[in-house]
Amino acid sequence: MSPKTPTDELEQRRLWAEAQGGPDNVKRQHDQGRLTVRERIAGLVDAGSFQEIGKLTGSESYEGLALKHVTPAPYVMGLAQIDGRPVAVGGEDFTVRGGTTAALDKRKGGQGGFVEDMAHHYRIPLVNLIDGAGGSVTSAKRRGHAVFPGVDSFDRSIDLLAEVPVVSAVLGSAAGGPAGRAILSHWSVMVKGSSEVFAAGPAVVERSLGQKVSKDELGGAAVAVDKAGSIDNVAESEAECFALIRRFLGYMPQNVWELPPVVPCDDPVDRCEDALLSIVPEQRRRAYDMRKLIALVVDKGSVFEIQPTFGKALITCLARLDGHPVGVIANNPMVYGGAMDGPAARKQVRFVELCDMFHIPLVFLVDVPGFMVGLQAEQTGVLRDGMRAVYVASQATVPVVTVVIRKCYGMAGMATCHKRGLEFRVAWPSAEWGSLPVEGGVAVAFRREIAGAPDPKKREQELEEELRAYGSPMRTAAAFGVEDMLDPRETRPYLCRFVALAQSRLKTELGPKLKSGVRP
Amino acid sequence: MAREEIQSEVTGTVWKIEMKVGDSISDGDTIMILESMKMEIPVISTEDGKLVEILVKEEQPVSEGQAVAVVETD
Repeated sequence: MSPKTPTDELEQRRLWAEAQGGPDNVKRQHDQGRLTVRERIAGLVDAGSFQEIGKLTGSESYEGLALKHVTPAPYVMGLAQIDGRPVAVGGEDFTVRGGTTAALDKRKGGQGGFVEDMAHHYRIPLVNLIDGAGGSVTSAKRRGHAVFPGVDSFDRSIDLLAEVPVVSAVLGSAAGGPAGRAILSHWSVMVKGSSEVFAAGPAVVERSLGQKVSKDELGGAAVAVDKAGSIDNVAESEAECFALIRRFLGYMPQNVWELPPVVPCDDPVDRCEDALLSIVPEQRRRAYDMRKLIALVVDKGSVFEIQPTFGKALITCLARLDGHPVGVIANNPMVYGGAMDGPAARKQVRFVELCDMFHIPLVFLVDVPGFMVGLQAEQTGVLRDGMRAVYVASQATVPVVTVVIRKCYGMAGMATCHKRGLEFRVAWPSAEWGSLPVEGGVAVAFRREIAGAPDPKKREQELEEELRAYGSPMRTAAAFGVEDMLDPRETRPYLCRFVALAQSRLKTELGPKLKSGVRP
Repeated sequence: MAREEIQSEVTGTVWKIEMKVGDSISDGDTIMILESMKMEIPVISTEDGKLVEILVKEEQPVSEGQAVAVVETD
């Protein structure tokens, strides 16, 4: 081709960019059940809002002095809007050399790069659409030397975590750098059946350890989301993935210097659900559906659960009360009676930090018998993970309210309260607490007395009954050891009032939150 | 029609089996109750259909993620 005018040439170069890796490679991408990066961006952002930046980047080929073709750089990025709010968005173009890095004067994105600089400079959220394989040994041949790790620094990606919401979607096979980039996010998502994430893929694993595993076995959602918890949520399709990203960002402020957005709410603030009266079974041994309880309290349809399949003894969700975003942390009595194990503790730590960073008040709905006990829990470090949850709760400065639904015991119970703040705790009549549950506790504290009794089993039961009588939450309320008791039906109005009150406080603490100390 | 395995969410022991093979079942129905951490933990169907297999017995220990029943979905 030989363009007639400079404007024609510009137009031609843009057309080459839009053609991506050519029809064959685009077809191959589609045949894998995956969208191209341009289709992904179009599916994610408000219609027509994408302003591409760096569209002309690529490798040119000439015949003599005549430009023949430009193969676009394998990364597409720019500015766009989601629900009318600006975001920086970018992703690898897998149809061009498998989304590997390009030899440009500076990086467009993927690990630092201009798209991350824009998010930092304009203080807007960043969305990474990850579909790249990372470093390759072939680059050493091209450059003539091996590059030292960190030549493409993660520093910007790390700094962004204290500034603006960062979301990563893993949409292909991410190994190495792109996998690492996915983890450096406030929230991440992958697509079931069509994306994987791992430190290294099956070929490297087989060579290193002799293990033969498929991509899906090694880094599919069943591992990365359900077991490892390295990616937060899973979507059934790319379209659902984009809907989830839009939803997540809807709870987030644009940056840490702003408050999260408030939406109009048509769910009455004074909605008092009778179902809350009977949701906690009278029999203390019976579990119940904590998700149902949450849904009865928060604004209808406002629950967005984070990590629903990891650390299942705990439920963490973003939700709204009278239109204001809140972070709800609830124990799940259906899984180990809600006891905090390592994964549940790690999930709580991450979620508390997320909400604290973005000025989202925290609501704890507590039913925790303590840290998880047993050989496996001890071997996997429940004490360190659990105490980290206590540490992080202590460092948070966002307003917290604690609603004790049933059990609140031990150090896991401490991790649900904000002692350094107002230490505002209210309880349902079904509540009970202590340093450890009466069962088990009696056996330890009265060991000699029980062993010496004519009928040890009977004596243990008598002691348990005697101590349980002191366990009424009303007694503690009378001593102002808990600030108030609620009729369960009053929970929604009470919490809506709390979150409205929190707004004045939140405004005084805008900006980054710098924390010192070594976390346990 | 598809066979869907129902898994235990927890490690514990089977306390009471509440349904029998051949029963029709709906999403949310309790198939059996396990005991774990001194709590009664129901195993709840996530499918609509027919209970075609129960893979455990009362008092048998089960581990997290273990298939305990099979439902044939409508």
